[in-house]
Amino acid sequence: MAQIIITTEDIVSGNPDKKLKLLKFSGQLDETNVDEKAKGIYDIIGGVPQGLFLILDFEKLEYMNSKSIGYLTDWYTKLSEKKGGILIANARPNILDILQVVGLTQLIKCVGTVEEAKLAIMQ
Amino acid sequence: MDQQSNKEPVKITITLPTNAYFMSGIRDFTLSMIRNMTKFSDQWAYRFQSVVDELCNNAIEHGSSPNHEIKVIFINYPNESIEIIVEDSGTGKNKIKAENLQKLVAERSKPGYAFNEIRGRGLAKIVSAWTDELKFVDLPTGGIQTRIKKSLNTPMPDMQVSGAVQQDPTHLVLT
Repeated sequence: MAQIIITTEDIVSGNPDKKLKLLKFSGQLDETNVDEKAKGIYDIIGGVPQGLFLILDFEKLEYMNSKSIGYLTDWYTKLSEKKGGILIANARPNILDILQVVGLTQLIKCVGTVEEAKLAIMQ
Repeated sequence: MDQQSNKEPVKITITLPTNAYFMSGIRDFTLSMIRNMTKFSDQWAYRFQSVVDELCNNAIEHGSSPNHEIKVIFINYPNESIEIIVEDSGTGKNKIKAENLQKLVAERSKPGYAFNEIRGRGLAKIVSAWTDELKFVDLPTGGIQTRIKKSLNTPMPDMQVSGAVQQDPTHLVLT
C-alpha cells in the first residue's frame, strides 16, 4: 500500500481578504489512499468561507494518479468559487508531466518554490 | 540486465489479486523494467508507470470483483516497442463491451471534453496521450483485454517539463 503524509500549516498573508495554507505532500497519492486524504482537504476548504489559497508543496510527492488529479481539479473549482485558489510548488518532473498531459497546468499555476507561490498569491 | 542485444521479444506476465494494495509494487516494477530492459527515456519510464497504474486500476475497479485476479503482460520488443496488456476478470458490476469502451474513451479524449467527475481521465487523457495504440478486446471469459503499444521511434516530442511550466502562457494568474 502506498504511503502519503500531508502536513498543513497556516501562512501569514498580511491581507485580511486572503488566507493562505501550505500543504506539504510526501509519498504517493494513489487508489489506496486518495479518497481518505481528499476528505481532509475538503474539510480545510469547507472551514474557510472566502479567500482561501492553498499552496501545495509537491517537493516530496513521488506519484499521483488520475483520481488525485480529479480531486485537485475539484478543489480548485470549489476554491475559485469562493475567491480563493490553488498553486502548486516544487513539483517533480514526472508530476508536472502528468499535470500537463491532462491539461491541469492551464488551470492551476505551477511554480518552482513556495516563496514564488506566496508572491503570486499576494500580487 | 541487458536485453538490447537480443532481438527476441521478452514477455513478462504478472497475475494480481483484485486489490489496489498491490499497485505500488507494480508501479515500482514497471519503472525498473522500463529503465533496465528498454531504451525508453526516464521520462517515459515514469509515463509507463502511470499507464500501467491506470489500466490496472480500471481493471480492478470496473472489470473485476473482489477476490478475483487481473493479468498484466509486458512484451518488450528490443529496440522497437513495448506492449502492455491488462486483462480483467469480467466479474465487475458494470459490464461494458470493448466496442462501447472504445467509443467512451474516444469521446472523452476529444479536445475540450468537460470532465465533471473525479474519475474518467485515466484512459482518456493519460493512457491515450502516452501510447501509439490503445485497443480493447472482449475476452471469452466476459472480461476485457486492454492492449497498449508504444514505439521507440514514434516522432512524439517529450514534453519539456523541467522549469518550463512557469513560462507556459496558458496559465491563469490567480489574484
